[in-house]
Amino acid sequence: MIRTALEVGMTKSPEAILFWVLAPLSVLAAIGMLLVKKAVHSALLLAWVMISLAIFYIAQEALFLGIVQIVVYTGAVMMLFLFILMLVGVDSADSLLENIKYLRPIAVTAAIGIGGLLVSLIGRATISHNAYGLSIANQNGNVQGLAQLLFTKYVWAFEVISALLITAALGAMVLAHSNKVRSKFSQRDLSAARFRGKKLAEAAGLPGPGVYALHNAVDVPARLPDGSAAATSISRVLEARGDVLESKQFELQQSEDESSDK
Amino acid sequence: MLTTPSFEYLLLSPMLIILAAAVIGVLAEAFLDRNHLPVIQLFISVGAILLALIQIYRIKSSSSTSAAIGSVVIDKATIYLQGTILIIGLLALLLISDQEQFVAQASAIPGSREEQESTSKGSIQTEIYPLLSFALAGMMLFTCASDLITLFVALEVFSLPLYLLAGLSRRRRLLSQEAALKYFLLGAYSSAFFLFGAAFLYGISGSVYLVDISSAVSGGYGNDVFVLIGLIFISVGLLFKISAVPFHAWTPDVYQGAPTSVTAFMAAATKVAAFGAILRIFYVVFSPIANQWRPIISVIAIITMVFGSAVAIAQRDVKRMLAYSSIAHAGFILTAVLALNKSGLSAALFYLTTYGLSTLAAFGIITLIRDATGEVTDLNKWAGLGKKSPLIAGSFAFLLLSFAGIPLTSGFIGKFAIFSAAYETGNIAVVVFGVLSSALAAFFYIRVILLMFVAQSQNDSISIAIPSVKSRIAIGATTAATVILGLFPSLLLNITQSFSIFIK
Repeated sequence: MIRTALEVGMTKSPEAILFWVLAPLSVLAAIGMLLVKKAVHSALLLAWVMISLAIFYIAQEALFLGIVQIVVYTGAVMMLFLFILMLVGVDSADSLLENIKYLRPIAVTAAIGIGGLLVSLIGRATISHNAYGLSIANQNGNVQGLAQLLFTKYVWAFEVISALLITAALGAMVLAHSNKVRSKFSQRDLSAARFRGKKLAEAAGLPGPGVYALHNAVDVPARLPDGSAAATSISRVLEARGDVLESKQFELQQSEDESSDK
Repeated sequence: MLTTPSFEYLLLSPMLIILAAAVIGVLAEAFLDRNHLPVIQLFISVGAILLALIQIYRIKSSSSTSAAIGSVVIDKATIYLQGTILIIGLLALLLISDQEQFVAQASAIPGSREEQESTSKGSIQTEIYPLLSFALAGMMLFTCASDLITLFVALEVFSLPLYLLAGLSRRRRLLSQEAALKYFLLGAYSSAFFLFGAAFLYGISGSVYLVDISSAVSGGYGNDVFVLIGLIFISVGLLFKISAVPFHAWTPDVYQGAPTSVTAFMAAATKVAAFGAILRIFYVVFSPIANQWRPIISVIAIITMVFGSAVAIAQRDVKRMLAYSSIAHAGFILTAVLALNKSGLSAALFYLTTYGLSTLAAFGIITLIRDATGEVTDLNKWAGLGKKSPLIAGSFAFLLLSFAGIPLTSGFIGKFAIFSAAYETGNIAVVVFGVLSSALAAFFYIRVILLMFVAQSQNDSISIAIPSVKSRIAIGATTAATVILGLFPSLLLNITQSFSIFIK
């Protein structure tokens, strides 16, 4: 019996309603992912696409796959994405510069072309067997059925994936972990260095940042007795990030020898 | 209910040995003294490859072929391909173990003080040895996987280490890292195509095993839209790996950016593994519908040959030139896929071996041509190399002649075997284009030879490094193989003929 692939793939009514409600939404979300400017919004839309996929899986009797989709993708992978966004900065947007002229129109045309071709081809495809559904596969329970396949028929592929995971872990170590070339300074070394340093004034530790009623003071330097700013009172990290406020506005007066003894 | 799966451990043993060596290498990395690691890692890797070669020799006439519950087929062609991959891996390992092309500390930012300190301290990333072993194991599995899932897993297992290795060059690190990232992104993209195609083939046959797909394909139920979509998308994934046009864009950048010894390994071994899988898929699964795909693959083979040869002419960098030449060679070997007969398979096996060995030798020689800043790959600076070192320049010239397919070299025998096999099955157009683009390719190979021997050298800044014993063995053995297989091709042709059997 030969029927078209579309007939074979037709679902029954409750599932069809679910499909026609969720599918357009997830396609919209997927398109939106590409169009929104901010990376965070893109990540959230991706989460929505993944969750709707999970719902489809569960609707098609693949309960385990649906749960795994939520736990692994929506849970773990999305969290990783968000961590990375945190590190990169929420506000950073992709540079949308085109290196090759007219790349975007060409890409859009090609995408529409191949998409249309696939849709028209699949619409005309015929298949000689029925869709089985998962009811036969799920006879002994969904998870049990999967486990049985994983540990019998596909055990070799399943085992070889461990090589992939080890490679990934090893690669992450190679690219990110650095062996210390110099030995780390101990507290004792640091203390000795302070006393042998040029200025004994810093031996007792660096001054804390300034305290002003007007302002959250971590990014404003402390004031020395003469009213000038103590540059060492600010964390170097803040300085490097350029987050330090100009302390002049908080100073009472300008002293002449301030710049020499920071 | 559950029966214990029966593995044929003996048939799997070459792969298992290499995988075990990789895992032991990772453990050694974690627990052993850093100062002794380079020697230990080299010992583990070389030892494992030799053991695996012995195992391959032992199973070469084994009667059973199916292993790992039907996921793996160890037939004659597989044994030949696995042996070739291991030999190429061994020789590449000798090149790679001259660590000075590799970055001292991959995590250090390029140009930073940490980088300078670790370089001057002489620290090295010995992780490249386990990574190479993983890549080897993946390639071996890729040639023998007989279901689509195993094929996909093997594809990833050998690709991932290569992405990493490509980014570990010591000099011009940003270029190297860019190459690695490009390779990774495009590779992931092509894997997605492969999976998409695999899904359609599963849809038509209800099975992921190549045998079942083959019978579903030849069964002729319904129309074959799904089969064709599956075939095309799976081909995209595989053609990417052999860098056939139009899926070649990564090749020049990655060949140029990766450390030269890794490029040598990649160029030689990846081709063998990927063509092993392509040959198996087209010979075993899709041969019943050859009339459907022959036109597509013919066109791809023709544009790959012509494009690779034509663009190589314009290259000013020797690594990029060899990259385009490898694209052209992919086209030549694709011609053997079109032949779909035993002589075509045998010719492909011969060509893969000789091309792999010559490529190793050529890239090995490139590592020796240096100036104060490291390797010199700019062709203009190669002028006058023939006067400086006739032996090195002479060997390189000979290898180029072999790539060009001049008689008395192994490249000629390979091309002749492939084109005559394709001619037998009536692919005249492909043969004509193949011969024409060979002539075109000869032009730029000979231009490089003229440059080395005739042109006046403009500066004396380049020098030829004295190779270490390991490099000497690798370059010497591969060059010698190119000479010997050119003069006495029947030594290898007899072997490839008896090993060119695919079993479903």
